[in-house]
Amino acid sequence: MTLTVRNLAVHYGRKTVIDGLYADALPGALTAIVGPNGSGKSTLIKAMCGDLPYDGTITLNGIDVFRAQPWELAAVRGVLPQTSTLAFPFHAIEVVKIGLTSGTEADHEGRASAALARVGLAGYANRYYQELSGGEQQRVQLARVLAQAWAPATASGPNWLMLDEPVSSLDIAHQLQVMRIAQNFARAGGGVVAVMHDLNLTGLFADQVLVMAEGQVLAAGRPADVMTDGVLSRAYGCDLRVNTAPQGMAPFVLPHSIDASGNAGFAE
Amino acid sequence: MDRRDFIALSLAFAAAQPTHALAASDAQDVIAIGGDVTEIIYALGQGHRLLARDATSTFPAEAQALPDVGYMRSLSAEGVLSFAPSLIVSAEGAGPPEVIDILRSAAVNFAEVPEGYDAGAIVEKINAVGAALDVQELAQTLAAETRVALYAAQDRATRLNAEKKRVLFILSTQGGRIMASGTGTGADGIIRMAGATNAVSEFEGYKPLSDEAVSAAAPDAILMMDRSGDHASTDEELFALPALLATPAAQKRDVVRMDGLFLLGFGPRTADAVTALHRALYPI
Amino acid sequence: MHVWLAVTLVVVGLFSLTIGATDVSLGPALQKVVRGQALTRTEAIVLWDIRAPRLALGVLVGAALAVGGTVMQGLFRNPLADPGLVGVSAGAGLGAISAIVLVGFAPAWLVRNVGDHLVPVAAFLGGWGSTLLLYRVSTRRGRTSVATMLLAGIALGALAGALSGILVYISDDRQLRDLTFWGLGSLGGASWAKALAAGPIIVISVLAACALGRGLNGLALGEATAAHIGLNVQRVKNMAILTVAAATGAAVAVSGGIGFIGIIVPHLLRLAMGPDHRPLLINAALLGALLLVLADVIARVIIAPAELPIGIVTAVLGAPVFLWILLRQRGMVDL
Repeated sequence: MTLTVRNLAVHYGRKTVIDGLYADALPGALTAIVGPNGSGKSTLIKAMCGDLPYDGTITLNGIDVFRAQPWELAAVRGVLPQTSTLAFPFHAIEVVKIGLTSGTEADHEGRASAALARVGLAGYANRYYQELSGGEQQRVQLARVLAQAWAPATASGPNWLMLDEPVSSLDIAHQLQVMRIAQNFARAGGGVVAVMHDLNLTGLFADQVLVMAEGQVLAAGRPADVMTDGVLSRAYGCDLRVNTAPQGMAPFVLPHSIDASGNAGFAE
Repeated sequence: MDRRDFIALSLAFAAAQPTHALAASDAQDVIAIGGDVTEIIYALGQGHRLLARDATSTFPAEAQALPDVGYMRSLSAEGVLSFAPSLIVSAEGAGPPEVIDILRSAAVNFAEVPEGYDAGAIVEKINAVGAALDVQELAQTLAAETRVALYAAQDRATRLNAEKKRVLFILSTQGGRIMASGTGTGADGIIRMAGATNAVSEFEGYKPLSDEAVSAAAPDAILMMDRSGDHASTDEELFALPALLATPAAQKRDVVRMDGLFLLGFGPRTADAVTALHRALYPI
Repeated sequence: MHVWLAVTLVVVGLFSLTIGATDVSLGPALQKVVRGQALTRTEAIVLWDIRAPRLALGVLVGAALAVGGTVMQGLFRNPLADPGLVGVSAGAGLGAISAIVLVGFAPAWLVRNVGDHLVPVAAFLGGWGSTLLLYRVSTRRGRTSVATMLLAGIALGALAGALSGILVYISDDRQLRDLTFWGLGSLGGASWAKALAAGPIIVISVLAACALGRGLNGLALGEATAAHIGLNVQRVKNMAILTVAAATGAAVAVSGGIGFIGIIVPHLLRLAMGPDHRPLLINAALLGALLLVLADVIARVIIAPAELPIGIVTAVLGAPVFLWILLRQRGMVDL
């Protein structure tokens, strides 16, 4: 019951974006994919979600992603895209409910309210989605994904969250909140795969890190093992120093400083 | 004596004779569809029987006082039936077909008067209207009368001229495009009856002509319907059209305008129309 | 909501049976039927051959236009998409005109077997082709460009108009009259034969549309997300395109170009009850039927005994509402 990627190749037209990639992600862990722009990390998660045609094999809980029907995949994983659009003026709670199929309308209502509460938008159910800020919209979308992949682990196997840059338009407090939700999902037995731009949040929350460069996995393993000066400098093509306090007077704020134990300083 | 007076007189004479007792009822229970049909009904002295008429029925003036049931090609079934007519006399081509089907199936008599663009057709029309109104004898008198007048007018029109003028009938010049009459139309019929030649014989019906086709048709005269208001185009505007510039008609500024129903109605007034058109085309 | 829309539709429908140029009224006629008396021939014809098929056709066409518009807007993820505005009706019209003009050249067996359905079927094919073309042109990677859609719609409309023009040119006078009348948009030619020819297509497409509710809700989030929540996106899109084409084609075939129902109805309903397509579609069918029957009553009585083409009535009522929508949407829709 894992996510496995074997000999993956993805082409955009005649351009090869990913070639011969192998990777695994386990339930119970938060797997972060990092790498510079154009390294193929978004392409990789899209392939994992079944959005793209590809060569090679990807299986999720033993399901062949390429051959699976949309509803088979939808039953075991939710996907938070990098950017979302919404055509009509739906209420926030309606957006969350759109992803739900099984169960009754009352179940949907309850689960959608709970999901909104979990992302800190309890009072926003009947607000128009279009009238929310960018960060609030992104959290509504996360609530939709959570409502879809509701139980981290079920009798038939783990559920998965596939998050493409889940914190890109959030302030630091909400970044921590969202990462903590993902982490809790993984600790409860679910699988989480997240494309991350922020290396500090990655170091803080990831259980497993996949460093990508030029369509290949450069290194994979625990954050402490792969987030090294050598690997990161090679991946990003610039001289990076890990865990080195900066010299000089420019202030810096690291998420690490807030509270590693779990409370980000606001009530959930 | 005016022709209309003559008809009225002959009708009065006919009515005065007991052997010509009108079999038809005098009830007001007829609807006329089509300008020619209405004209014939009035010419037969049966105008008092009309309940309503269509929008194309604009002659004689009394007809315009009657309720209007709309354009003859887009009639409303219920609108027509609301007059509870016992007879509808309609020109061929009234529509839409579904409405005509309903009118035929309703408890009213529906008489269709055949269309046609020569003297024989007018005679047939008159007899058809007469039969529908049950005034066959009046119709025969009018038909005979009309036939004589038509042949006389046609004779006068065709006798004199060795050289027939080529006439282009223009239905409209909207947007500078000339919509002209080919063969098989009322315009074609009246042009020939008036002793001229239709300048366009390549197609049937009314179609838009290219500028070059108009030049190639080389009309000696232009024939148009008389319209007032915005649609009227002056001679200046007309002959300024590139299509017409090179034509003999433009050089001689030869354009004839006549009332549409009078010109193209093919009814009791057509003999007059033939004469009027002939005089306009061949002034002495 | 749909319950009282349905009730209102029944009331307005009965009202439309009682009103018209003749003074035949439903009440006395029903009393006669109840008492076992025979109706007069005029009563029977006015009620059964004129008003009833017209009501049936008004309900069918109104439902088809409104549902076609709603599905189209869901498919294109845009509240301004309308079969009439973006050339689908023109395409359906081209199909219908082709059928009317070219029927003389069609093989006899085809005419014999398809008969009354020839024009609706041809209109459906025309509408289907133009919807498909429009979608291909204006949608790239699951995102529809509204500007491209509207411009492509104009081009498509012009092309269909030009081809229709060629057909009109080669048609004879009788066909030309049929076409002219048909192009005005009217229920004036209503008959049971027409209602029966268009009825099955329209009923099926309305039912199909009602089954599309969840799919269109999903599409509102974009094609990728629609797939992520378990929808077979390609199937939803194919179904939506077929539904729009069938509903619009059948409506255009029997009544010509009647505009604005497809855009006003879904908009009013979204204001009243939100954009969820599951209740929206069935309510659109009801409100569309209701509005068109009302418009037809106006068309029939306002200049009686003649009547106005209903397309004029819906345009007079609809165009200002459309402009109002444009004003309201100015901030929300990115063209």
